Amino acid sequence: MIEFEEVTKQYEQSLALDGLTLTIPDNVLFVLVGPSGSGKTTAIKMINRLIEPTSGVIKIDGQPINQMDLQTLRLNIGYVLQNIALFPHLTIEENITIQLEVLKWTKADRQKRARELLAMVHLDPDQYASRYPSELSGGQQQRIGIIRALATSPKVILMDEPFSALDPVTRTQLQDLVLSLQKQLHNTIVFVTHDMKEALRLGDEIAVMRQGSIQQVGTAKAIFNQPKNEFVREFFDIERQQATLTVEDLLAADLGTVVNGQPTTITMSATLAELAQQLVVHPEGVVVATDDQGQRQLTMTDLTTLIAKRGL
Amino acid sequence: MMQQIEQILTTQSGELLQALGQHLEISLLALLIAAAIGVPLAIVLTTHQKLAETMLQVTSVLQTIPSLALLGLLIPLVGIGTIPAVITLVLYALMPIFQNTYTGLIGIDPALKEAEVAFGLPRTKRLLRIELPLAMPLIISGLRIALVMIIGTATLAALIGAGGLGTFILVGIQSNNNALLLVGATLSAVLALVVSALIRWLGTLSFKKITVSLAIFVGLFGVIEGVTRFQAPQTTITIAGKLGSEPDILMNMYRDLILEDQPNYKVTVKPNFGGTTFLFNALQADKIDIYPEFTGTVLQTLVKSPTKTNQNPTKTYQLAKKSLQEQFNMTYLAPMRYQNGYDLAVSAAFAQKYNVKTISDLATLKQPITAGFDPDFYHQKDGYQGLKDTYQLNLNAKIMEPSIRYKAIADGKVDVVDGYTTDAEVARYKLVVLEDDRHFFPPYQGAPIMKADFAKAHPEVVKALNRLAGQITESQMQEMNYQVQVKHRKARDVAHDYLVKQQLISK
Repeated sequence: MIEFEEVTKQYEQSLALDGLTLTIPDNVLFVLVGPSGSGKTTAIKMINRLIEPTSGVIKIDGQPINQMDLQTLRLNIGYVLQNIALFPHLTIEENITIQLEVLKWTKADRQKRARELLAMVHLDPDQYASRYPSELSGGQQQRIGIIRALATSPKVILMDEPFSALDPVTRTQLQDLVLSLQKQLHNTIVFVTHDMKEALRLGDEIAVMRQGSIQQVGTAKAIFNQPKNEFVREFFDIERQQATLTVEDLLAADLGTVVNGQPTTITMSATLAELAQQLVVHPEGVVVATDDQGQRQLTMTDLTTLIAKRGL
Repeated sequence: MMQQIEQILTTQSGELLQALGQHLEISLLALLIAAAIGVPLAIVLTTHQKLAETMLQVTSVLQTIPSLALLGLLIPLVGIGTIPAVITLVLYALMPIFQNTYTGLIGIDPALKEAEVAFGLPRTKRLLRIELPLAMPLIISGLRIALVMIIGTATLAALIGAGGLGTFILVGIQSNNNALLLVGATLSAVLALVVSALIRWLGTLSFKKITVSLAIFVGLFGVIEGVTRFQAPQTTITIAGKLGSEPDILMNMYRDLILEDQPNYKVTVKPNFGGTTFLFNALQADKIDIYPEFTGTVLQTLVKSPTKTNQNPTKTYQLAKKSLQEQFNMTYLAPMRYQNGYDLAVSAAFAQKYNVKTISDLATLKQPITAGFDPDFYHQKDGYQGLKDTYQLNLNAKIMEPSIRYKAIADGKVDVVDGYTTDAEVARYKLVVLEDDRHFFPPYQGAPIMKADFAKAHPEVVKALNRLAGQITESQMQEMNYQVQVKHRKARDVAHDYLVKQQLISK
């Protein structure tokens, strides 16, 4: 468990973190999301003490990290960087096992570990172990970046916007990889992103940040459906708009009138476009069966109310 | 020219190899010291950027000091020979090594630096495993730049008696021997290219291999240095001489004479060691033990409140000896027979055309006369400055290197040159020596000069050298100079042959 208690970071010109209090539970993929300047990167870099707070305490499993041995702390926290940052003069194997060198693993053990990790991200060890980073594609390089962070089997792994430089297809693949790795290994992953779509896709829990403080913490669904304030709502608005609205959304917004014993004319998963077509033919209203075995009648007014409320 | 070069390569291969070795030794020693200072300094200063900027400025300024001036500045501080040469070269090499190492370390991608810190790598691990290897290409290129510069600049080390390939260049200029000059310069260039290629190759190795190679190299270098130093015998006598063939011949005679009596002594000769003041300072500083000097020069240049020199050679010698003893506590042994004085010479054609036989004749000529004088002669009171007043001479005088000046008169570029009565070129270029009809030029006799303490401690050396007193005539000296300068025989052999012929040594 990682706890931030009243953590503030004051730079000469600006306040990066303003009394941040946050608890990150064990074994979850925890996403810090927010626009640039929201303090999310400052917060994540405080966990491995790349940045020291001006005031406040950060604890891991109840122990303040500034009282722990710095090297031990860092060797036990995995770190994946935004610009990947593989050491260009070291082979893939050497890159992966650099921390194990410090921990005095034998060469054979390091080799074994590197092969294990490569296999885990579907890269053929025979083919890749002795290559240099420049010989790999960007996506492959960040796979190495991820398994490098796993080398010492750390309980906590920090990922600082790791996929922001990758193309959308590769990004999706790597997001899937992170999800499956987390399911497999049950590490605590703290993941920073400014992309709400990525946050929604990955986060077991999401903390939305703005100007150095937390706006809302919760599951993807909770935040998406019940934004706590205007900022959170707006932040997810674009995402919301892009989602294809269905009849279910209409029901969720508590629209329509309850009816009984009518013939059902539309399903819950129908899109609003399909609903609109039905309403042109049946201007008096269409009937949908709800989850609780009931029925509701939807009219043109319900549709326009929803659009007025959510936008298109 | 090709023949001359071939001749040099066959007859002087030993000396060439020795000079090459010396050159390489000085250069590598300087490089190692500069690297041992520059690289750690750059590493330390990467965390002190302001200091680093200052350091860069300082090394850049050092770079702009002319190397010759730097060598000169160091003489009063550390004397002459290898030490000031190496110091100078180190100061020069410092900037490229420091700058490249610093730039290499500073220029590392900040993301990589963040990564190595975040991974909890200890400071030494970061430096050795990540940062130095990443900066290595720049460091290697800094070393290469430094070494090429060192090897080039090290040719100047010959000027302060450190030896090396510069000796050949210097003597080549001195004796108008372009072949010798070319050999010296070419070897220096080739050395620079070879060593540069070697360092480039070193740069392609992995960091580990580079470290191991360097360690082996430094170890070997240290062992060789140690062994050579350790093997030095108890009695070492160092004889030096000014630039030119005549001092070179004399020095070798001194050596052969000493070794004839004391075969176990180690006698080092340092030919072409430098100018008058330079040699005298070296003698005072115990850098050398003996060098041949002329009586006239002692009175004109070395002793305080110089007096007008007597025309009587014996009196001149006595005065010089007394002054040296009183003012510097130096012993001046008995002089040789020949008189080597300054003279003025014109081409035979010029002499005939204007009917010039004496310096007075020259002074009466109305048309402009151009003269090529060596720098010493031009500036000294016993040279052109005094001569001008005595004869009311009005010459268009240009300063030229001694060897170039004879070439100039042979090519008709100048009408008059200064020279020495024993110069081989008088005969070679068919010159006419003008009579010094007002007896301005003092008589110059050569004799060994040394510290009184040394003479007292080594009576056997004094005894050996005194056998040369009253020996060698002017024509014998001219002939020997001719053998060395024109025939390119080794001064050592010429000296040896003379001593054997005169039965001064056994064989």
